[in-house]
Amino acid sequence: MKSTFIALSAAVVAIGIVGMNKPDYIKNAMQSLSLSDAEEPVARSSRLAQQSDIGIAGANAPVFREIKRSARPVLDSVVTAATAATVDESALRYFASRGDTARLQAEISRLKALYPDWVPPKDPLAVPQNEDKQLEAMWDLYAQARYPEVRKAIAERLVSEPAWKPPADLIDRLTVAEARTRLINASDLKQYETVVRIGSETPSLLTCSEVDVLWRVAEAFFRTDKAQRATDAYSYILNNCQNAAERLATIQKAAAILPAKSVEDLLAKEKAAPDGTMEFDSIRDDLARRFVAEANADGKLVVPPQYLSRVERLAEAGGLASDALLLGWYYLPRGDMEAAEKWFRKARDKEDTASASQGLALTLIDRNDQLAAEDTMYRWRDDSKEAKAVYLAATANLLALEPPVPISGDVLKRVATEVIKSRDPSTAQQFGWYARALNQPQTALQWFRTALNWKLDDEPSAYGLAVTYLQLDDLKGLTEIQRLWAGRSERIARVGEVEEPETATRQQRLANETVLVQQQPRTTRVPQDVEDVQPEQVAVIRPRRTVAVDRGCKSTINPQTLAPEAALTRGWCLMERNRPMEAAAAFEVGMLGSSAKTREDAAYGQSLAYLRAGLSGKAAVSAVKAPQNRQRAFELQQAILADKAVAAFDGGRSREALLILDQLKQIAPERTDLLSLRGYAYLRLKRYADARRVFEALAAIGNRDGQRGLGILYQIFNDKD
Amino acid sequence: MRGKLLAAFLAGLFSFCLASTSANAQQPLIAAEAWQAYKSKFLDPGGRIIDDANGNISHSEGQGYGLLLSVLANSPADFELIWSFTRTELLLRSDGLAAWKWNPATKPHVTDINNATDGDILIAYALGLAGEQWNRPDYIKNGAGIARAILDKTVIQISGRSLLLPAAAGFSAKDRDDGPVINPSYWVFEAFPVLDQLAPSPVWAKLRTDGIAILDELRFGPKQLPSDWVSLKSPPGPATGFPAEFGYNALRIPLYLVRGGVADRALLTRLMRGTSGANGEYTTIDAVSGTVKDNLADPGYRIINHILACVVDKTVVPDDLKQFVPTHYYPSTLHLLGLSFIAAQQPECS
Repeated sequence: MKSTFIALSAAVVAIGIVGMNKPDYIKNAMQSLSLSDAEEPVARSSRLAQQSDIGIAGANAPVFREIKRSARPVLDSVVTAATAATVDESALRYFASRGDTARLQAEISRLKALYPDWVPPKDPLAVPQNEDKQLEAMWDLYAQARYPEVRKAIAERLVSEPAWKPPADLIDRLTVAEARTRLINASDLKQYETVVRIGSETPSLLTCSEVDVLWRVAEAFFRTDKAQRATDAYSYILNNCQNAAERLATIQKAAAILPAKSVEDLLAKEKAAPDGTMEFDSIRDDLARRFVAEANADGKLVVPPQYLSRVERLAEAGGLASDALLLGWYYLPRGDMEAAEKWFRKARDKEDTASASQGLALTLIDRNDQLAAEDTMYRWRDDSKEAKAVYLAATANLLALEPPVPISGDVLKRVATEVIKSRDPSTAQQFGWYARALNQPQTALQWFRTALNWKLDDEPSAYGLAVTYLQLDDLKGLTEIQRLWAGRSERIARVGEVEEPETATRQQRLANETVLVQQQPRTTRVPQDVEDVQPEQVAVIRPRRTVAVDRGCKSTINPQTLAPEAALTRGWCLMERNRPMEAAAAFEVGMLGSSAKTREDAAYGQSLAYLRAGLSGKAAVSAVKAPQNRQRAFELQQAILADKAVAAFDGGRSREALLILDQLKQIAPERTDLLSLRGYAYLRLKRYADARRVFEALAAIGNRDGQRGLGILYQIFNDKD
Repeated sequence: MRGKLLAAFLAGLFSFCLASTSANAQQPLIAAEAWQAYKSKFLDPGGRIIDDANGNISHSEGQGYGLLLSVLANSPADFELIWSFTRTELLLRSDGLAAWKWNPATKPHVTDINNATDGDILIAYALGLAGEQWNRPDYIKNGAGIARAILDKTVIQISGRSLLLPAAAGFSAKDRDDGPVINPSYWVFEAFPVLDQLAPSPVWAKLRTDGIAILDELRFGPKQLPSDWVSLKSPPGPATGFPAEFGYNALRIPLYLVRGGVADRALLTRLMRGTSGANGEYTTIDAVSGTVKDNLADPGYRIINHILACVVDKTVVPDDLKQFVPTHYYPSTLHLLGLSFIAAQQPECS
């Protein structure tokens, strides 16, 4: 028995080469065997003909070996064929006795391939059964994967027949089959260390004929923090195993857990089919999608460019909204807003979803088109927490725009409704500033109070309240808010100090100085009256100051007699002479101009004029009277703010100037001239440390204001000494 | 001195277990007919012991009992059968312990990967006995692996005492407000000397002495009985979330004690008195009020107090209890364990 076993092993080694070049029909036969019974262990061999260590280091690491199929059960009663002493027909007899013609045929094919000289029996079904009935019964149980019962049968026979020795092949196969069952059970239960242990104890399981086991061992490696070994296991399959479906599945399984780089290495093992197609083509699309999706979750991940462009081709050609969406979310966190917007729009055109709208809204917010962002997100605002957050970001930004954009009453109302429903302090606060910008301080008070109710420590809202009380000469309100914030906000404490009262008196003075020519019809006001959307149902209607003057640049001319272009020129002339109210009237005429450029310039000029006059609300109105292009709108916003800052400083309102400079800093790097303005503002407020910091920074770049400022500081401190 | 005596005693017990089974190879401690009757009712042909009162599930405890009974019935073939199933279907945990529950109705069959320490003890114990009895180094090796895992994962030391946690997870002071929680019926006293042979450690002997000491202290309610599940957070008491009862878990404690050679007369008498029903039934008891919960007439339960009476008072076990007729998995298992104890150690009681 033992010598037969060894002889057979030698024969198998000898025919290893044959096995490597199996004709197709053999492969098919083998495949049909495994397909006919997934648990089919009979057709498998544990015999090893060639070892292919793939460098998995470590004493306990499973070693993957290539397997060559050999004749199966080596039984005591092997009938030797005339030509080959080792042809084992026991499996043949077993299948014949079962009437299993499919497997019988497969076994005949297999034997013919292994032993070219072997002549199959004429009537295979008539082949005599194995003589050892008990052993036959054991193989029978084994074939049905009833391994515990095989164990029992062996043990029973050993009791009744102590001299009997179970065939080593049966014991080997049984041990391997039990290990296989155990490995699969452990893998199903995520007991990955057990899986690795069984794999290392049972190297004969780690062969191409047990690809499922290899997959499970590979996953177990990965789950026990041995990613490289997992990669090695997948590599082994792709290097050695030929089954096309299994190779494809291998890549899919590897891609499901391994990082992109490792998957890329595995993909390099791809083979070309005879017709020129590549075997992994069908899954590259999905892989590309997966890589991009993973990169969406991790902004630092780099997707190989070929995968990115593959998804882009898919999104362009196939037109799946999901592909476009993947790309949008890929580009967004990487700051490529233009690309992100393009793909989100594409996705949204295909199918308006929360995700597409959210992405698009974020790009719109980024490029300061808050009105469109609000509109995009409105429908989806309740879809998720994130959707709500994006919507509220859009509304807060929308109201914070400098200059304010025209917002329709419907939109203002729905924003207000949503803000109240969501109790969003940020947008409520911006409603306050927005109301102030439109010179509706009572409404501003309502919103600031509301924001403070929702967020007790919202200092900007408290500050808004303070400056608005001051504007309204409500000293009681101002004192109260200053009391509440004592020790918590320096700027609130200082509202109303020295220069602050000017704000109120100055405007009053201006109003007295100007000649009210006509009441501007309400309908021409572009921004919807924010008073309509107060947080509470208290409508405080204040008549709005509307002003228009008609004086010449040198002489006094009614600008309405001028052509729009001439009026525009006159407007700038008046601005140079610091006669802003007259300039505003001239620009008003300029806005009737036929060219968009003229209208835009006029609107810009008028907004500057109003600003100069300290009428920020009017300035905002003017700014939106003509559509501004994106670049211009941005510049205008900066210019308005810069002008506001200068005006505030010139008006002695240093604190307000600083506030505006802070706002400005948020949208663009601070210009040198504005930085020196900041320095002087600090100086006036006796914030010497801050002033010194600014002037030093300026002096460091050779700026004269910086040097001058430092000189002033020097004097101040020396005088003190 | 005392340690030496104990060691000698334990070694003696161990060799007794083996000797009594080996020497009686022709006459096993469980009669062939009884074993056959048990198998036909509770052993699935695929090697799992069926708990027919619990939806026909199997568990590590049942597999452990099946293996132990196979040894006592001197049936290496049945042992092989049950072991093969146990190993491939339950011994899957990465820490080397067995998953406790196998359900034929689910896929995968193991739905809870937790272990149950008494199941692990019974399996390792049976492997140790079988390995010696049938000269199977592979059994010894596997048993030793499980024994080491029991030491590593389920034994804790609290205030100088060695405790068995009911499972590797979920019962420690860290896991529960009232932790540590123990199940006194998981102390399979007879197993400890065998486990010490498999995985030598002074802990096994300590588990025995500390286990007896704890049982001596756990006297809840008027009947002075332990509960199935006990919180050892001071003062000890029935654990929260479990019925406060001397129930189906605890009722095997006396059997484990006498099988393990514990001859503490006071302890055995207290347990026997607390659980004897009016008409000879075995009773489960409310651990707080001391009232009877269930009167158990199954011979597998009733035999327990008769064995105690035999050990304590040398009374004879009634004839009707010496006949084995399978009823349900759990009492029938206890019945065979009781009968094998009488056959091995108290022939005068039969």
